[in-house]
Amino acid sequence: MSDFAFEARRARLEPLFASARSLADAGTERGQRARERLLASSGLSAQGVDFALARCLETAPDEAEIAALIRGTPSAQVAHVLLSANVFVAAHRAIAIALAASEQVRVRASRREPEMAELLLAGAPGAFELVAELSPRAGDRLWAYGSDETMDEVAVTLPAGVAFHAHGSGFGVAVLEGSHSEAELRALLGALAEDIALFDQRGCLSPRVVLVNAEPALAGQLARELARELAELEQRVPRGQLSAGELSAITKYRDTAHFTGEVFEAGLGYVSLAHEARWLLPPTGRNIHVLATPNPLAALTPYRPLLTSCAFAGAPALGQALRQALPGARVCRFGEMQRPPFDGPVDRRDV
Amino acid sequence: MTRNARSDNLHRAVRRFAAGDRARTFSDLALEIAAFQREYSPGFARLWASRQSAIESVDDIPGVPCDAFRLARIALHPEAEDRLRFSTSGTTSGARGLHAMRVTETYHELALNFGRSALLSNERAHHVVALAPVLDDPPSSSLGHMMAMFMLDFEQRGAFDVRSPERWLLDDRGVNLAGLEQAAARAAERAQTLLVLATSFALVGLLDALQGRTLPLPADAVVMQTGGFKGKTREIEPSELRAAVARSFAVSQAQIVSEYGMTELTSQLYEATVPGSALERERHGAPGVYAEPPWLRVVPVDPTSLEPVPSGEVGIARIVDLGNVDSAVAIQTQDRVRRVEGGIMLLGRAEGAPARGCSLAIEEFLAGGGG
Repeated sequence: MSDFAFEARRARLEPLFASARSLADAGTERGQRARERLLASSGLSAQGVDFALARCLETAPDEAEIAALIRGTPSAQVAHVLLSANVFVAAHRAIAIALAASEQVRVRASRREPEMAELLLAGAPGAFELVAELSPRAGDRLWAYGSDETMDEVAVTLPAGVAFHAHGSGFGVAVLEGSHSEAELRALLGALAEDIALFDQRGCLSPRVVLVNAEPALAGQLARELARELAELEQRVPRGQLSAGELSAITKYRDTAHFTGEVFEAGLGYVSLAHEARWLLPPTGRNIHVLATPNPLAALTPYRPLLTSCAFAGAPALGQALRQALPGARVCRFGEMQRPPFDGPVDRRDV
Repeated sequence: MTRNARSDNLHRAVRRFAAGDRARTFSDLALEIAAFQREYSPGFARLWASRQSAIESVDDIPGVPCDAFRLARIALHPEAEDRLRFSTSGTTSGARGLHAMRVTETYHELALNFGRSALLSNERAHHVVALAPVLDDPPSSSLGHMMAMFMLDFEQRGAFDVRSPERWLLDDRGVNLAGLEQAAARAAERAQTLLVLATSFALVGLLDALQGRTLPLPADAVVMQTGGFKGKTREIEPSELRAAVARSFAVSQAQIVSEYGMTELTSQLYEATVPGSALERERHGAPGVYAEPPWLRVVPVDPTSLEPVPSGEVGIARIVDLGNVDSAVAIQTQDRVRRVEGGIMLLGRAEGAPARGCSLAIEEFLAGGGG
C-alpha cells in the first residue's frame, strides 16, 4: 500500500474517532444523550452503559494499531457492515474496518440495538451510510457480526463475487496458573469480574469458563473469591434487565451445576465449580464456570473454533503457547478481554 | 439396611403400586424415593440443599435437569451393577447422556402395563413391527428396547428372534415398504392385529417414499408414533403428520397414537385415543392430550422460579416418575406443557436463552462440541 493510499484511509477514520470520543465523554450533551439512548436499547443498567462506554469504547487508538488495522484490511468497491446487538461499542471498530476498506461504507444496524451506529453517524456526518437492507454486489465486501445462524442466513443470500467476512458466535475463556500472592490474586479476580460483568456477559468476547491449573481445593477457593468479586462489582455496576429466556436458562444452569459440582452465589449471578473435568457453559448474565485442570491447553483444544478470546495469568510461555494453540482467539491479560487492540476485527476467526 | 436392599424394597413397592395396590400413596413413595436418592447421590443432595424451603410434598422435590445426564452419572449404584444402559440421542458432537438401570423388572413391568393399556385395542394376538433400526446388542436405545419388549409381550407366542430383519423396517436406505406390506398381509392372513411402532422421522420418510400412494393396513391396525425429528428429516406438524399417516395407511386418525417418553425416564405417556383400548375406555382422551400412568406425574412449573403454575397455565414439565428409583425420581425438562382434562398437552420445547448477538448460546455449544 502506498503512503498516499494509507493516508487517504487514515483520514477516513478520523471523523469516526472524533465522534466516538464525544460519545464517551459523559460531560457532553452527546455523551449524555448516548447514555440515555443506549440505556433503553441495551438492557444494561445505567451504570452498565457508562462502564461499557468508559472501558470499551476506543477513544484514542494507538497509531501502530490503527496502521495494522489499515494495512490488514483488504480494499473493496463498497464495504458493507452488518452489526450485532448487545456489544454496542463494537459498532465503532466494525465501521472503522469498513472505512479502511472503502470510501463507500453501508451499515445495517441491529434491529434490537440501532442506537450506536446512529450516534456515531451523527458525530461524523457523511462518513458512512446507514441502510435498512444491505445489497452487496460482486467486488464488494461484507463484514458481518452476530450469531452463527445469522451468518448462515447471510451467506446463502450473497451474490457471487462478494467477499464475506463472518464473525459468528463465540465465547471467551480465562486461564489461571502459576503462583500469585494474595494481593495479585485479588487483583486478577477483580479484573476478571469486570471482563465478565461488561455488557452483562452478552458479548462474544465475554469469559464464560475459567480453567485453573491447581488442586481442586484451591480452585474452589478461587471460585468463592471470584463470586465475592462479582457480588461487589454488582454493587457498583448493577446487572441490567434479563429476558425471561435468559432467566430461565440461568435457573437450569444453576440446578445442573448444583448436581454436578458446587455453586456460589455471585450477586444475581453464579460461579459454578466442576467436581469432574466436564465443561459446563453458563448462560449470559454474569455466570462463570470454574474448572480445575492440570493441562489447560489440552482442555481448550476441543473448543478452539468457538473461542474468541483467552485471558491468561501465568508465565509468558503460557501466553505464547495459548497464541499458538488458539490462532482464532485474542490472547490477553485478565481485565483486557473486552478491549482487544484496535488492529482489526474483535477476533481472529475471519472465515 | 444396605443401599441395594432399600432400593429393592422401593422397586417392589413401586411395582405393587403400578399393579393397583394403594397401601402407599404416590406422594409417600415419591418422597421416600427422593429421600433415598438424597442419601446416596451427592449431586441430588446438593440440589436438595439448595432449596430454601423444606421438601414436604411431591411438588417440592427438585427436578434434576436433563442436562445433568450428559455431564454426570445419574445413578446411585456403581457401573458394575448396571443391567441396562440407555444412551440419550445426545448432540451432534456425540455427547450423550446415560440412564443406567440396576433393576430391569420395574422398567419392564411399568412399560408393559401402560403400553398394553394404551395400545392394545382387543384381546386378539398382535403382530408387531417397528419402523426403527434393528435393535443393537446390548440395547443402547430405550425406545428400541421398549419396542422389542412390546414385540415379545404383545404377540403372546413365547420366545422368538426379536432382532429378525422382518421386524425392524428402517435402515440407511429408508423405510422398508415391502417389509411393511408383508407384515400387513401376514397380520390379515392370521387374523392378528397389526401394531406398527414408529418414530416420527421414520413416518415422514415413509410418506416421502410413498409419494402420495397408499399402503393399506388391516382395518384394526394401530400405529404408535414417538419422538421428534432431531434434524433428521423435514418437520411436520403433529396433527398434519397424524392425518397424512392415517390417510396413507387407510386407517382412522384415532388409530394413530402418540407416545411421549425420554431416555431419562422409566415410564411413558400416551394419548388415550385408540378405540377399544383400556386407556381410551378409562380416559376418553383427545388427540394431543397425553395421559400419565398412575405412577408418574407431570408438574408444569414456571421456567424461572420452578414453582408449579396454576392449573391450565403453560409451564415446563417437571416429571416425577416412581420408576426412577435408582436415578432421579424427578426430572426437570424444558418441554412446555399445559395441564388439561385427561392429561397434559405438549407445546414444544422451551428454548434456552435466545442467542442474542454473537454470544454463544448453550444449545450451540452442546451442538458444536461442548458438553
